[in-house]
Amino acid sequence: MATNAAPPEQTLFVRKASGLVKAWAGGDGFRYSFFSVNVFLAIWSFAYATFIPGGSLFWAIVITVPFIVLEIVVYAALISAMPRAGGDYVWMTRIFNSPVGFVLAAAGWWFILWQWLPIYADMGVQTTVKPILRIVGADGGADWLGTNHGIFVAALVVIIISSVLVAVGMKAYAKFQKWAIWIGLIGVVVAGILLLVTSGASYKQKYNDAANKYYGDRGTLDLTKYETDAAGVFKYDDAGALIPMMGADGKTPEQYASAYDATAAVGKGTGQPSSAFSGGLSWATWTLIPFMLFWMAWPNWGATLYGEVRGAKDFRKNIYQMLGGLLVPTVIALGFLGLMAWRMGYQTFMGTMSAFWWGVSPFGGDYISPTAMISWIVPNQAFQIVLIAAISLLLFGWYGTVFLSSTRMIFAAAFDRILPESAAKVTSGGVPVIALVLMIIPSIICSALYAYTPIDAGTGVTWFKLFTYDATLVILVMFLGSGLAFMVMPWRAKVIWDSTPIPKWKIGPIPVLSIIAAGFSAFLIFSLWLFLKDAVYGVNNGKSLIFMGALYVLAIAIWVIAYFVRKRQGMALETVAKEIPVE
Amino acid sequence: MSVRLFFATDVHGSEACWRKFINSGKHYDADVLILGGDMTGKAVVPIMDNGGGKYTFHMQDIRHDLDGADALALNQRAIRDHGYYPVVMTPEQRNEFTSDPDKLDELFDQQMRRTVEEWIAWADERLAGADMRCIVCPGNDDRTDIDELLASSSQIEVGEGNVLDLPEGYQLASSGWTNLTPWDTPREEDEPALKARIEGIVAQATVSPERLVLGLHAPPFDTQLDVAPKIDWESLTVQGQNVAHVGSTAVREVIEQVQPILSLHGHIHESRAAVRIGRTLAVNPGSSYVEGTLSGCVIELDGKKKLKRYRLTMG
Repeated sequence: MATNAAPPEQTLFVRKASGLVKAWAGGDGFRYSFFSVNVFLAIWSFAYATFIPGGSLFWAIVITVPFIVLEIVVYAALISAMPRAGGDYVWMTRIFNSPVGFVLAAAGWWFILWQWLPIYADMGVQTTVKPILRIVGADGGADWLGTNHGIFVAALVVIIISSVLVAVGMKAYAKFQKWAIWIGLIGVVVAGILLLVTSGASYKQKYNDAANKYYGDRGTLDLTKYETDAAGVFKYDDAGALIPMMGADGKTPEQYASAYDATAAVGKGTGQPSSAFSGGLSWATWTLIPFMLFWMAWPNWGATLYGEVRGAKDFRKNIYQMLGGLLVPTVIALGFLGLMAWRMGYQTFMGTMSAFWWGVSPFGGDYISPTAMISWIVPNQAFQIVLIAAISLLLFGWYGTVFLSSTRMIFAAAFDRILPESAAKVTSGGVPVIALVLMIIPSIICSALYAYTPIDAGTGVTWFKLFTYDATLVILVMFLGSGLAFMVMPWRAKVIWDSTPIPKWKIGPIPVLSIIAAGFSAFLIFSLWLFLKDAVYGVNNGKSLIFMGALYVLAIAIWVIAYFVRKRQGMALETVAKEIPVE
Repeated sequence: MSVRLFFATDVHGSEACWRKFINSGKHYDADVLILGGDMTGKAVVPIMDNGGGKYTFHMQDIRHDLDGADALALNQRAIRDHGYYPVVMTPEQRNEFTSDPDKLDELFDQQMRRTVEEWIAWADERLAGADMRCIVCPGNDDRTDIDELLASSSQIEVGEGNVLDLPEGYQLASSGWTNLTPWDTPREEDEPALKARIEGIVAQATVSPERLVLGLHAPPFDTQLDVAPKIDWESLTVQGQNVAHVGSTAVREVIEQVQPILSLHGHIHESRAAVRIGRTLAVNPGSSYVEGTLSGCVIELDGKKKLKRYRLTMG
């Protein structure tokens, strides 16, 4: 039998055997992380950040990065140690136990993703579909999308798209993703160039021209002036409503001269700072971190999808890919922030961000889409549509995969028999029918709640939409479980730890990686404390807590039922996660 | 009476996984243990003897410097648990193995045989007196001389090419041969030859399909059991995210024709799944040998005509 001759100074001799491959496409992991730390999510979260105007958005991003790097190290190590479909579920069940792993992972990888569907749909509608409909003059369609029915139907469309993608297989979608990332990035570069070559005065003119053309001429531009205090901050009446500033006749509200002036007034009126650096490293800046986690916490999103021969055991490669996936969108987001601040003035830009959520958008109440307002620089409708659509591929190229991770977790739990065998059933065409149903039906319910629950008086959005950040919190709780699991892995899963290729450096008796995991876990605990302490994140109200609590109760109920059913069948569920003795 | 089988596969030289396999009977309360092939390791880790009780080796690009016999023994075991063969050698010997493929081949042969002999001895000791059967069928990565070593065991039965009686009137027909791979492994052949081989083995079975279990290392083609990253056969390079069905059409055809109650497979480590092909449950528990975790499957046959339940395990 011939063997592969090893080159000089060989540190490993290999023979001809199955599965020994030389390389893998390193770009895949990066692409997945890049999509996960999505630029659209970043800008969407900037709008939420306007609710803490005392903090520095720039510094909030910068101080969040090193903590996410800790997350990257922890997940790179977990992936390297146990590259298993099911990710966090497998790690926590094996390192802790079956109930802890299942409950945290079911809530984080499965149940809470039901809520992401309407969120993704809302983002797609507000940032892309509505602005394009305004450009083509389809105001009826744009207005309808803003209604309860419109939001619900948009969510259904996203659910259908995501289901079809899982059903027909990811192969074609993976190809689409490759194109999407490049076209999206070209769009981003074009947008950057446009901002760079356009003077402030010219930009202001183009902004107003588009506002008049797409809103003013159709009677939907609202340039009402509102009462402000001496600092220019809006005043509110006893009912919490803005107070129009009446003209000389005492009946007709005064008007701003232009949409741009109205937007600038919104920035000032909502108390936005004049610089992204304002607030420095103050406490207010630290309290922006939960908003940043909405977009920055996900470079590890592909953790469940890595496989053995794709190089997933390469700790350093895992780190590089996720790090690239974090840093590239972060740089783009910061660059966007800088360019907009340079072109519009930071306060005015933040006015575009705050206008929608504060209910003071001059654009007929519309979200002022960042991609649309950059596209307006070129007064050509076709160009505007192409640019908005191109950049939107960074969003649409991603959210088709929303069901993917859930199905992996469901499969893993079904293999362990916590869920019935049928949950892992795949048709002859490869469609995970039951797992899809377990995602689709609750997602429809969540979409209905997002669209139709009563409007919250304080914010003007439905109360289910108000706790959008539950969708981040529950996943972070799962990450915390995995972080703690990795922290104790050297002791609780010694065989696996000893066999991993990850570095085993120690400080005294403690592995360095355990210390990093402790740091990551502490950061998550701090973030979760912020989430639950302050109402500004919309998660610590009664309804939100009931919703999240219900998810965990559901997970616990499933595990307990499975435990007794399997026990009756003579199958000890606890052995699922119990290691077979080696000696 | 029902029969509980524990099936695992593709331990690829991992001592931890072998020991777990032997211990799994007690852990899962199984009546029969079945190992589905690919026992032997794929790589030798040269441990450089620097003299004075100091040693150096690399594992996954990380350099390890050892001082003393205890550290050496500890790391040798860790390497073996990982599925590699640790061999202490001088730099001169390493250069010889590097430049002489035949010498390297001899080294592999020696390491594989010695390891299998040690494993058999450990298993014989552990399983002696235990009320359970242990059947091992080599796989495509195992050289053919492994079979005779296994046959020397007092506790292990060799599956390759045989139909073995199981409790309650079931039979197991096994083969570790697979369809062609890019690696030109010891037990692979084209689909017609593989089909003839499997049909020849199955023909020895004397039970009805609902009492027949197939143990075929290659998974059936175009199922969830045979999905692997697409590989360029010339460069042995993974083609991005593309995946392909790499199972055997012969295996699939035999399953479709014979319709045994159960069909056990391995070979494709990342395709851990169970699917139904007509009345047959086909299982590939996958493999996580590198991390020392034993992927397996517990299957309970009802002693009549039905497969009562199954569960994929990782222990």
